[in-house]
Amino acid sequence: MPEIKVTPLGAGQDVGRSCILVSIGGKNIMLDCGMHMGYNDDRRFPDFSYITQNGRLTDFLDCLIISHFHLDHCGALPYMSEMVGYDGPIYMTHPTKAICPILLEDFRKITVDKKGETNFFTSQMIKDCMKKVIPLNLHQTVQVDDELEIKAYYAGHVLGAAMVHIKVGSESVVYTGDYNMTPDRHLGAAWIDKCRPDILISESTYATTIRDSKRCRERDFLKKVHESIERGGKVLIPVFALGRAQELCILLETFWERMNLKAPIYFSTGLTEKANHYYKLFITWTNQKIRKTFVQRNMFEFKHIKAFDRSYADNPGPMVVFATPGMLHAGQSLQIFKKWAGNEKNMVIMPGYCVQGTIGHKILNGQRKLEMEGRATLDVKLQVEYMSFSAHADAKGIMQLIRMAEPRNMVLVHGEAVKMEFLKGKIEQEFSIDCYMPANGETVTVTTNPSVPVDISLNLLKREMALGGPLPDPKKPRTMHGTLIMKENSLKLVSSEQALKELGLNEHQLRFTCRVQLQDPHSDPDTLHRIYTHLKSVLKGYTIQHLPDGTVMVESIVIKVSSSAEDPNTKVLLLSWSYQVKLSSFLMILSSPGISPV
Amino acid sequence: MAATTEDDNLDDILDEWFIESLKTYKDLHVYQLEHPTQVIEWTSGKTVCVGGYSSSRNEMLELHLPLKLFADENKGLCAERDFKVLHGGFTDGPVRCLVHVPGTRFVVTNDGLSSDLQLWDLGGDDSDVIRRTGIVEGGRKRMMKSFSEGGSRIAARPSLQPQILHGAQSCDIQLTDLNSGRTLYRPGRAAEVRDSPRFVLTETDSTDLLSSLQFVSDAVFLAGCCNGNVYLADTRTSAAPQLSPPPLSSGESVLWWTDASTAPDPSCCRVIRLSSSGAAVVSDLRKPGGRAVRQAQLDVEGHHFSPDHVKVSWAPALDGCVSVSGLSRAVQIYDVSLWGAELQEVQPLFEHRGHVISSQQSDSGVSVRITSHVWHPERPRTLLSAASDGSVHVWDWIDQSAAAGPEPGSQ
Repeated sequence: MPEIKVTPLGAGQDVGRSCILVSIGGKNIMLDCGMHMGYNDDRRFPDFSYITQNGRLTDFLDCLIISHFHLDHCGALPYMSEMVGYDGPIYMTHPTKAICPILLEDFRKITVDKKGETNFFTSQMIKDCMKKVIPLNLHQTVQVDDELEIKAYYAGHVLGAAMVHIKVGSESVVYTGDYNMTPDRHLGAAWIDKCRPDILISESTYATTIRDSKRCRERDFLKKVHESIERGGKVLIPVFALGRAQELCILLETFWERMNLKAPIYFSTGLTEKANHYYKLFITWTNQKIRKTFVQRNMFEFKHIKAFDRSYADNPGPMVVFATPGMLHAGQSLQIFKKWAGNEKNMVIMPGYCVQGTIGHKILNGQRKLEMEGRATLDVKLQVEYMSFSAHADAKGIMQLIRMAEPRNMVLVHGEAVKMEFLKGKIEQEFSIDCYMPANGETVTVTTNPSVPVDISLNLLKREMALGGPLPDPKKPRTMHGTLIMKENSLKLVSSEQALKELGLNEHQLRFTCRVQLQDPHSDPDTLHRIYTHLKSVLKGYTIQHLPDGTVMVESIVIKVSSSAEDPNTKVLLLSWSYQVKLSSFLMILSSPGISPV
Repeated sequence: MAATTEDDNLDDILDEWFIESLKTYKDLHVYQLEHPTQVIEWTSGKTVCVGGYSSSRNEMLELHLPLKLFADENKGLCAERDFKVLHGGFTDGPVRCLVHVPGTRFVVTNDGLSSDLQLWDLGGDDSDVIRRTGIVEGGRKRMMKSFSEGGSRIAARPSLQPQILHGAQSCDIQLTDLNSGRTLYRPGRAAEVRDSPRFVLTETDSTDLLSSLQFVSDAVFLAGCCNGNVYLADTRTSAAPQLSPPPLSSGESVLWWTDASTAPDPSCCRVIRLSSSGAAVVSDLRKPGGRAVRQAQLDVEGHHFSPDHVKVSWAPALDGCVSVSGLSRAVQIYDVSLWGAELQEVQPLFEHRGHVISSQQSDSGVSVRITSHVWHPERPRTLLSAASDGSVHVWDWIDQSAAAGPEPGSQ
């Protein structure tokens, strides 16, 4: 039976490094190539030695697919492609292709410049790696080679995130990457058709979570901003241009309007231009509401939000500032942070994960004294708030997705099997499908039962129906005869004659002959007649004909009589039959009394 | 994904409520379970158990509350706002009543179809499956159509001996030891008598349907009946339980729910009784049959209710406060000390309308109903509430009437 193998790569059970190997129909595909942000050594990269002990990966992989631009899904890409070595195709959506290199470069700068690491990928490696990328459009089938095809579906979660459908022959796998099932202010919800893949691969951490609503998270954000503003404090929100910045701006604008607040909100200019540029490029990836707004006005034209100038940071009174970069590791956001950190009325709101080595990471870990350049220390007196806005599915979401796609089997990665028994039971019961939970480095093999579709010619069908008898039913299949033709990519069942005609072959007939000698004094025609009457009397139920051309036919067996040249009493019976005839019963007749062979 | 104007309007209403909530709630978390629950039971200070109530197979879950709620000093640095599903299991019938046995990892459930109870092991760190480990037989064996006819009420003894009190009617209450399965006590009978004929609770046989069973101390319990009768019994004696009839004369169709506050000294415990017409009466446990200490007429909106879903509860850590849900579309909190001795209309101290407001988002025409609510055992103003649309809210409300001084939420 054909099978599909799924192996999540790398050591450690925790989420933080997605990299999954799939073997399907003789093809090897790698799904995502993430970095584990918690480790500083080789443990942060997936364990590629599973694929090959040494040497490049090009010969072992047919393609690599990246689901979205988060570092835990693409962070190890330049390492894999340029340092380990892979020259094959890398697939990702257009927004991912545009945004990935920016994030990778930022990440590289932090790791090399801030943390002083040496064995890391270079800027040139990032560029070389991106040259191998082939961009994907939503719902467009892409032929990787003549057997492997892939298709991207909308996943929500972040701009450009995709779920990917992989098909080889009649076997298929869907990998979800990160996704969410509820739309938010700027992205829609994940969607897939009833593609019925053999396997659906998803993260197990979702399944054990029940997520707090988006509105409650937003409420928390607004509450914190409002409290600071009320006491005259300044709020710094370090953002990545394409992250939640747009969404948070819309939120604040609505809130300011409703509450009639007067404190200024600023947006650093670099942020606006970049964000605007990307959103314009990828407008189809945002949700309906954003599209409507975008058509009506420039997305970053707000009533209450203005462009920031460096000097404003020293202005007295409350204000809110959105500035890049998002992890406070350099640039404008760090400058502003240094100015505002000493005042406990102020606040910094970190809307997402910060990489180790950045100031963002340090303050989120509770550090209140920071070492700056030139041995200066900075006392962190302002309030630090960590908020997570990223949209992920949860237990309910996973069930919804399974209902949408109708997979035949489920594979959940990055979980501890022993702690997932309930979920496994739930999926198995509700959908009657098997649920597998491989550990990292462990391979799960799923046998597939591909159905092979075959077309049957109408004539053949009619002919079979004409034979009568009971109608075929799944419990009592009926045997039928035909010829299976494989032409291009289809299979057809046709009658033999039609097959021969289509293939341009002549039908050959095989006839066998044998001679039987008898002693009979009568004339040839009389002997023939005697044989005829004898056969007629013993072979009841068979068609026996005495033809005018001097032959006797039993069904399709032809009998001719002629006399031997030497002796007129020795008759030679010439029997001739075609390949299909079973001769055994006839030979028995010949040995019956009445006719005695010599 | 096409947004209509109607959706926009509903979004606006929800936004309004959320913005208003900035002043009225310290914390607010909104969750959506796959299936609605009518039970919320604490299994530790940070975990609760919920269970579905559809007529056939249901899920029972043990959930860990969001870490952010408990991260008091470093709240800002904790971004975890989600429930974690710690354990889960499947039941064959609805979960109509669920009680945790203190000091153990066991819970006891009743499906409302008979008075038998199911015993479950929630499981430890090594597995996430809730397994059924046994059955406790109830007094009545007949299958009943609806809860109010056959379902049992359950109470767990507060001491560390795993014993549960259960029964569907006032005449079949029994105390069962979970380890041995023995019936330790039946009201009005000497201890350790099994298979005894039905005892007499009062002069006439009384088969009052129970609406609640509750221990007020380790040995004394209260049995609240749907018809308004309240029995107070002591498991140490074989004396007949003390009866106090409903405080107001009420019609045949009026139902009553009861809760007793469990202060350390039972002599100052108070009992509150709530009727389906909205009358709330507080009396003293020492003389429950006596005159009402305080009473009030609550606004119930002439709302269609389900007897299973009505709940009245004293706040465990907030003196004099009670909460009511199921008779209107909000969870209402009242300060009983503001009530007088006469039946007069009162205003709630706080109303949680989150369920009805966020349910307007859904398409179905059925209006959402609150199925249960529970106070946090220690945090004074934290509650959990559940509704018929599967929503579960965790909220910490702000007492607006605390006039002087800074608002609790603005430190």
